[in-house]
Amino acid sequence: MIDIKKLDRYLLKVEKPARYVGSELNSVVKNKDIDIRFAFAFPDVYEVGMSHTGLHILYHLMNSMENVWCERVFAPWTDMEDLLRKNNIPLYGLESKDELTAFDFIGFTLQYEMSYTNVLNMLDLGNIPIRSSDRGNDMPLVIAGGPCAYNPEPLYEVIDLFVLGEAEEVLPDLLSLYSEEKKKGFDKIRFLEKAAGLEGIYVPLFYEEIYSEDGTIKERRVLNDKAAKTIKKRIIKDLDKSFYPEKSILPYIDVVHDRVVLEIFRGCTRGCRFCQAGMIYRPVRERKTDTLTAQAESLLKSTGHDEISLTSLSSGDYSCLPDLTLKLLDKYEKQNVSISLPSLRLDSMTFDIIERLQEVRKSGLTFAPEAGTQRMRDVINKNLTEEQILGPVETAFNLGWSTVKLYFMIGLPGETMEDVLGIKDLAYKIKDRFFQRPKEQIKGNLKINVSASCFVPKPFTPFQWVGQDTMDQFYEKARTLQKEIKDKKISFSYHEPKLSYLEAVFARGDRRLSKALIRAWEKGCRFDGWYDMFAFDKWMEAFRETGTDPDFYALRQRELNEVLPWDFIDLGVTKEYLMSEYKKALRTETTPDCRVKCTGCGVNYNLWGGACPHVQNIV
Amino acid sequence: MCKILCKYSKTGNLKYISHLDVLRFIQRSIKRAGIKAKYSEGFNPHMKTSFGYPLSLGIESIGEYFEVDLDEKIEPEVFIKKMNAVMPKEMQILKAAYSEDGDSLMKRCAYASYLINVEADIDVSRLNEYFDQMLTQGVIFERQKKNKKNQSVTRELNTKDLITYLRADKINNNVRIMAVIKTQETGSMKVEELIKLIKDKGFEFDYYTILKVDALDKDIKEIL
Repeated sequence: MIDIKKLDRYLLKVEKPARYVGSELNSVVKNKDIDIRFAFAFPDVYEVGMSHTGLHILYHLMNSMENVWCERVFAPWTDMEDLLRKNNIPLYGLESKDELTAFDFIGFTLQYEMSYTNVLNMLDLGNIPIRSSDRGNDMPLVIAGGPCAYNPEPLYEVIDLFVLGEAEEVLPDLLSLYSEEKKKGFDKIRFLEKAAGLEGIYVPLFYEEIYSEDGTIKERRVLNDKAAKTIKKRIIKDLDKSFYPEKSILPYIDVVHDRVVLEIFRGCTRGCRFCQAGMIYRPVRERKTDTLTAQAESLLKSTGHDEISLTSLSSGDYSCLPDLTLKLLDKYEKQNVSISLPSLRLDSMTFDIIERLQEVRKSGLTFAPEAGTQRMRDVINKNLTEEQILGPVETAFNLGWSTVKLYFMIGLPGETMEDVLGIKDLAYKIKDRFFQRPKEQIKGNLKINVSASCFVPKPFTPFQWVGQDTMDQFYEKARTLQKEIKDKKISFSYHEPKLSYLEAVFARGDRRLSKALIRAWEKGCRFDGWYDMFAFDKWMEAFRETGTDPDFYALRQRELNEVLPWDFIDLGVTKEYLMSEYKKALRTETTPDCRVKCTGCGVNYNLWGGACPHVQNIV
Repeated sequence: MCKILCKYSKTGNLKYISHLDVLRFIQRSIKRAGIKAKYSEGFNPHMKTSFGYPLSLGIESIGEYFEVDLDEKIEPEVFIKKMNAVMPKEMQILKAAYSEDGDSLMKRCAYASYLINVEADIDVSRLNEYFDQMLTQGVIFERQKKNKKNQSVTRELNTKDLITYLRADKINNNVRIMAVIKTQETGSMKVEELIKLIKDKGFEFDYYTILKVDALDKDIKEIL
C-alpha cells in the first residue's frame, strides 16, 4: 500500500483531489487476500473514464467473481503526475491504494489512439517497465482491449496480450486460465502460450513481420506453434443473458456523462463506409424491452440518478423504441427522471418520441449529415437525401427548436472543393427553411453551429486503403469554408488537422511505430487528445529520431492486394466485402441498410452461425 | 408536507468532496432512499434543499447540516434509517428533527467548532500565550479578495473579532487545538487562516488534520 499520510499531505494541492481517492458509492472493496487482482486502467482522466459504460460493465462483471477483485486506475492529470513523481508515490488502484505492481493484471481499454502515450505513462508511474520484454514473472500482465485493439500493432512492444471482441465473453476464460496457472507457479511465457489458445486472444510476441523494400509488409510469420495464424473476435450471442451491472459506481464529482446508461443494442446495420464501429460491432443484437426496464429500475435505485440515457450506435433503429421510451416515461416522469436519446437519426417517427422527451426543455438538436453534397453522401453510404435532412430540420423548427448543430467531415475520399462548399450550401438551405416559414411561426433566435472534423481512415472499413488528405489540404478546405460562411446565424469550427493526422498514423500503423510512440512519451508527450497538451513538434522529432515516416502511414494510398497490419484479425466481416464496398464508393454507388436486404458482409456465416437477427433476405 | 433538518457526517475520503458535490450526492441519496422530496416549479425542477455553512475541502466533519422540504410526512427516526441504509459509512445522518420556518440554515450556522490535530512537538504553553493574545488584544492578518472589477484587494482583519475560543493541549505526542470560529455574513475565518497564523509565528509543523466538530447558533448553542 502506498503511504496514505504522504498522499494526504499533498492531495489538496491538486485540482479535483476526488479523482484520486475512490470510496464512491457502489465501488467494491474486497479482502486483499484474493486469487486475482485486476486493475481496470482507463488511459484518460477520471471524469472521462467514469463516463465509459464498458468500465462499469467489466468492473462489476469481474467483481461478481468470487476469486477476482477489480479496481480502477485512471491517468493522473499533470499536476498529480508531478506530485506523484516528486514524492516517489507510485500510481495506485483507487480502491485498495495498492501500487500497480501489487496487481496480477493491468487491463487497458483503448478507446482512441491519442491515449496511447498515457498507457505508457501510467505503467511508468506504477513502476512497471513499459516494454513487455522487460517484464518478468514478478510483474503484472499488461493486457488491452477496446476498439483500437483491432489494430493492436502500434502497441506491440508494450502490451502482453490483446483481447479482441467483447470482453464479457473473453475475460472469464482468461481469468480462470490465470487462476489455474498461478496455482502451478506462474510462468509468463507458459501462460501466454496457453492464453494464445483461447479464442479472441492475441499475443504479439509470437509473431514476426517481414517487410519488403518499399516498407510494406511482405509476410507475417507465426513464431510459436501454440499461436494461431488468424485471431477471431469474440461476440456475445444473447445480450439479454449477458452480464449487465445492477449497480453502477456513483462518482462524487461531476463527470462527462453522469446518468444511468442503458445499452439498447450493439452493432449497426447502416453500413456507413467511414465508420469503424459500424463494422467491428456487427452483428446487430438488441436487448428486450423487459430486460432494459428491469435494468433501469435497479440502476436508478442504486444511484439516485435523474437521467436515463438510451445508447447505441443509432438509437432510432431499435425495433421497440416507442414502446421502451413510453414505458420508461410513464414510470419515471413523476419521479423527475428524464430520458435522453443520443445518436438518433431524425425522421418523422422519432419526432413523436423526442417531442415527449423534451416536453419541458428544448435543448439543441444535433444532425450529422457528414457530407455537404449528395454525391459525397453516396460515396460514404450515408443513405440520406437532402430532403431527409431538410425535412426533419424544418419539423424541428416548427416544434420550436431554433438551435441546430451540424456535423460534417472534410477530406473524404474523392472530395472536391465543390463538395466542401456543399457544406456551406446545406447550412444556408437550413437557414432558409427557418425564415421561409410564415412570420407568425418564426420563434426564437436561429443559431446554426457547423463543425467539420478531418476524416481519418480506419482499419476494417471500406476506406482502410485510402490515403488521408495532407494537413495543407485540410487547412485549405477548412479555411475556405471559414471564409465563405459569412452569416451571423451560422458559425463554423473545425477540428485540428494535426491531431487528425497523428490519429491517422496510429490508426493504420504497424509494429514499427512502437519505437516512435515510446520516444514521443520519453519526450514528454501525454494527453495528446487534449488540445492544450498536444505537442506536435515533439511528435515530429520522435518520428525523425526513430527513422519513422509518418506520411507512410497516414497519407499513402494502399494497393488492394497489400498485406495490412491488421489482416490477421478475423472480424467475421470479410476483406472481400470491404473491398467491394470501397469499389462501390468509387463508383458513387450506395448499399442499402442490411435490415432491408443482407449485403453479404460475411459476419452471419463466419461468426454468428446463421442469419443475423433483424435481417431479411439473406444472401 | 414537512421539513426535516439533519445533522450529518463527512469523514474519510469524503473530505476531498466539494460542497457542490455534497449537495448533489445528498439529493441523490434522498432519491435512492425512496423519500418523496418537494421540487421547485419551472423549466428545470430541482429538489428543495438548503445547506449550512460550506465546509472547506480537506476537512472532516461530524457536524454538517442540511434541510429538505418533503412531499410526505415522515418521522425523523424513519428518515434517518432510510437515508443511512443508502449512504456510505463516511457520510451518515447523525440526527434529524422537524424544522420550523425561520432564519435560513446558513444564517443559523453562526459559529463552527474545530479540533485540529498537529503532529509535532510544539511548546504548548507558548502556543496558548499566543492564543490568548489572539483572543484579547487580537492579531491583525491580511486577506486577499477579488473585488467586482476582478482586482485583488487586501483587507485587514482582527482575530479577536472572529475567534471566540482557542486552546491547545498536549495529547500523547501530538498537539490538539480546539477552536470556535465565527461563520457569519458579517465575518468569518477559515481554519487554514488560523493554521497560517500559527506557522507564521514560528511554530513548526508539517502534518495536521482538521475535524469540524459542530456548527453552533448565534448563542454558541447546538443547532439540533
